[in-house]
Amino acid sequence: MPKNITIFTTNTCAYCGMVKKWLGAKGYSYEEVNIDEHPERQQEALQASGQLAVPVTVVTRQDDSQEVVVGYNLAKLAPAVS
Amino acid sequence: MVEETTDKNKVWDVVMIGAGPASLAAAVYTTREDIETVLFEKGAIGGLAAVTDWVDNYPGFPKGISGLDLSANLQAQAERFGAKIELGEVSKIEDKGDYKLLQTTEGEYKAKAILIATGSDYKKIGVPGEAEFYARGVHYCATCDGAFYRDKKLVVVGGGNSAAQESLFLTKFATHIDLLVRSTFKASDILQKEVKQNPKITIHIGTTTDEIVGKDGKVTKVIGTDTASGKKVEFPTDGVFVFVGLSPNTEFLAGSSIELDNIGLIKTSMNDLQTNMPGVFVAGDVHSGATMQIASAVGEGATAALHIREYLEGKPHPIQN
Repeated sequence: MPKNITIFTTNTCAYCGMVKKWLGAKGYSYEEVNIDEHPERQQEALQASGQLAVPVTVVTRQDDSQEVVVGYNLAKLAPAVS
Repeated sequence: MVEETTDKNKVWDVVMIGAGPASLAAAVYTTREDIETVLFEKGAIGGLAAVTDWVDNYPGFPKGISGLDLSANLQAQAERFGAKIELGEVSKIEDKGDYKLLQTTEGEYKAKAILIATGSDYKKIGVPGEAEFYARGVHYCATCDGAFYRDKKLVVVGGGNSAAQESLFLTKFATHIDLLVRSTFKASDILQKEVKQNPKITIHIGTTTDEIVGKDGKVTKVIGTDTASGKKVEFPTDGVFVFVGLSPNTEFLAGSSIELDNIGLIKTSMNDLQTNMPGVFVAGDVHSGATMQIASAVGEGATAALHIREYLEGKPHPIQN
């Protein structure tokens, strides 16, 4: 179980909703940072992913190592949170 | 009929591949007939509709509706009657006689009938720089990534309804948009009017997109050709959004016996939306000859559902008798 999961989202991003739905269905809790509501945090998403895209999911493991998944990509998201 | 035993051996009445408007509409019909229905979606529930900013031509919504809200409504209606949605991908289907076997990311599934409604995705343009700057300045989803371009300049490539609609959406963020239209502006008259009246958008008809150029990992300009004069033209920009048509999601059928047309869309028999594999039906944008409209997809979904019911009951539709 990860220590922490943070998802950077926007209001209009359908794939952001899918990441939240998938994490919820698998029983993971997460913190959401909506960059439409908090544009000042957009830079955090960019720094984490190196990309100008959402959703950005930052998974922090128990040993504080991090994995970043851009987009709704279950092939990467599932192993990242397991 | 196949016996249903354990969960592993459970045979669903129908598995729908894709959870866009076509299959969500079909699921409303099948579940209301107590036809046990599961849908697989590898991307966004609602498909391309869900990533479309605004839908103005879907009947029943006089003021229009956001693609996200329309998708949520379709999902809620299908789930209200018992449709199950699995978040996963189908990689292969096989005809086993009494049932179809589906290989999925959630394991093997068995079904008496299948509805393929996997839709389409936006095409890429295949120019230098497109792959290099993917998601770092080149995008295919305005509703996802537009927010990164507050107070920036953008180029939008395309001349159809999607390019026009998404350009209008992107004006919420961008200071200016150069819309590059390779040949003719094919968007609907009402969208063309809105785009032409928007002071933030400049339309460049007859302008190809030849190269996306960047520096230090950021897009800086697009180089194109003015086809009338043959001269190279440059558009300084912070990002590029591409909407140049659709590519069918049928890669998973490679190696199957299901017949596709020359652009990869699925062929069906004339009347019942059934493919050449008995019990496998198709609806929506992935159907050969599809009009690529949400309303059409929903209509085909309903039609396919009725034909699936007849197939499961082992008799033809009464109208075709």
